[in-house]
Amino acid sequence: MVNLIKKELALCLHPTVFIFLSFAALVFVPNYPYEVIFFFSCLSVFFCCMMTRENGDIAFSCALPVKKEHIPLAKILVTIGLQCIILLLVGIIGAVKGAVLPAEQYVNQAGISANIVLVGNGAILLGIFNLIFFPRYFKAPDKIGVPFVIGAIVEFLLIGVFIILRWAIPLYSITLNGLNTVNTGAKAAALIIGFVVYIMLSAISCKLSMKYFQRVDL
Amino acid sequence: MNALEVKGLSKVYPEFTLDKVSFCVPQGHISGLIGRNGAGKSTTIKGVLRLIAAEGDVAVFGKDIIKDEMTVKQMIGYVGGGFRYYPMNTLAAIRKAYEPFYPTWNQGKYEKFLAQFGLSERKKVKELSEGMKVKFALSLALSHGAKLLIMDEPTSGLDPLSREEFCDIVLQLVRDEGVSVLFSTHITSDLMRIADDIVYISEGKILAACPLKELLGKYKLAHFSSLADATAANAIGVKSVKDGYEGLLPRDAKILNGVTLADATIDNIIVHLEKANEEKRHG
Repeated sequence: MVNLIKKELALCLHPTVFIFLSFAALVFVPNYPYEVIFFFSCLSVFFCCMMTRENGDIAFSCALPVKKEHIPLAKILVTIGLQCIILLLVGIIGAVKGAVLPAEQYVNQAGISANIVLVGNGAILLGIFNLIFFPRYFKAPDKIGVPFVIGAIVEFLLIGVFIILRWAIPLYSITLNGLNTVNTGAKAAALIIGFVVYIMLSAISCKLSMKYFQRVDL
Repeated sequence: MNALEVKGLSKVYPEFTLDKVSFCVPQGHISGLIGRNGAGKSTTIKGVLRLIAAEGDVAVFGKDIIKDEMTVKQMIGYVGGGFRYYPMNTLAAIRKAYEPFYPTWNQGKYEKFLAQFGLSERKKVKELSEGMKVKFALSLALSHGAKLLIMDEPTSGLDPLSREEFCDIVLQLVRDEGVSVLFSTHITSDLMRIADDIVYISEGKILAACPLKELLGKYKLAHFSSLADATAANAIGVKSVKDGYEGLLPRDAKILNGVTLADATIDNIIVHLEKANEEKRHG
């Protein structure tokens, strides 16, 4: 498994992965729906899968001395690693923003502030993307477009839902909004819920992907 | 001991069925998997390597590929038609990602192969000619001590000189390293040079799996001046040629007057057996 992950990192990462990781800095943009940052992370998964196809990586990997079901697992684990990095970066850069900017500039008119609740929301978005994209992709690894389009549509709908919640529900607009230092307990709970959802959905995605990939004919 | 044993390998596609394919590759032998385009050669190889979800049993040096997948794959060196992977990566990057999978990787041997084949690790895959790609794939496959080489049409796209060179390399490997080889091809002249055994597949079914000499010894190519003569002789897969008719006759068949006989090549055997099959299908 470690060798497969190393191979993924060496041969299958598209350069946009690193560019999109740097998009975590978008939390400094005033009045921006910060959840969109996580969509870019999904876009980098799409590019990596395109690269996998163009490189014939899956056929190459299947001929290696590995279990067939470990191939989707390695790809998803690498993606999870990258997703954890973007979540961490958004959390850190958001905290830095809260520390260096005046409180009034921290308030986001286009969605929730760049606090740890945003990280929780991001985890839910990424978990749902993993659940939609990977099982479909590993059913037919040559067809990347349809799984991504379905995943992207759901992502944007959810981003819309999070923006509506920010304005319509006091829990989101007041309690979970603003600096991390205010209502920290509630915000931490939202973050933990986000991560639990992410872990559960990603685990289901792994299971389904491994099952479907067993039946794939290359 | 057999290097490879395939029993009842089956795969059903909407328009093609691999039908209980069974054959074996004896240790130290070169077996040629032959058949026309679409006969099932690549499907067979993919089934052996579990690249497709096929039914049936595959054993490599007595080990079942499903039960001992990792061990079995360590013993196999797979060479597809050339090396179609990672065109933008250098050979060095690919080797670095590849070698950790094989505890038996021999860097010295790999470098020896690169030098022998005139390959530079700094080159990208896309910069290699087709012949060079095959040689790179061979270098990777052989440097981890593969005992069984499985190659899917490795000589397609190679010029005659490169094919000749490829055949020499394979022969040398079998003699010096004792590897066993299964390779599919529709260029039968390569097999005439190096194969010990032939596995002949047609429409997903094995029509013959035997030593090459036995297959060649089974038939004679008969030339007839008229169709009536060919029919009277019960020739197999009779077809019209420039100055008469040609068909196969079993070597021990009674020869009629006016029939010219010649040794049948693999090409002759395939062409006429396929023709006979076609006739059978169309009544």
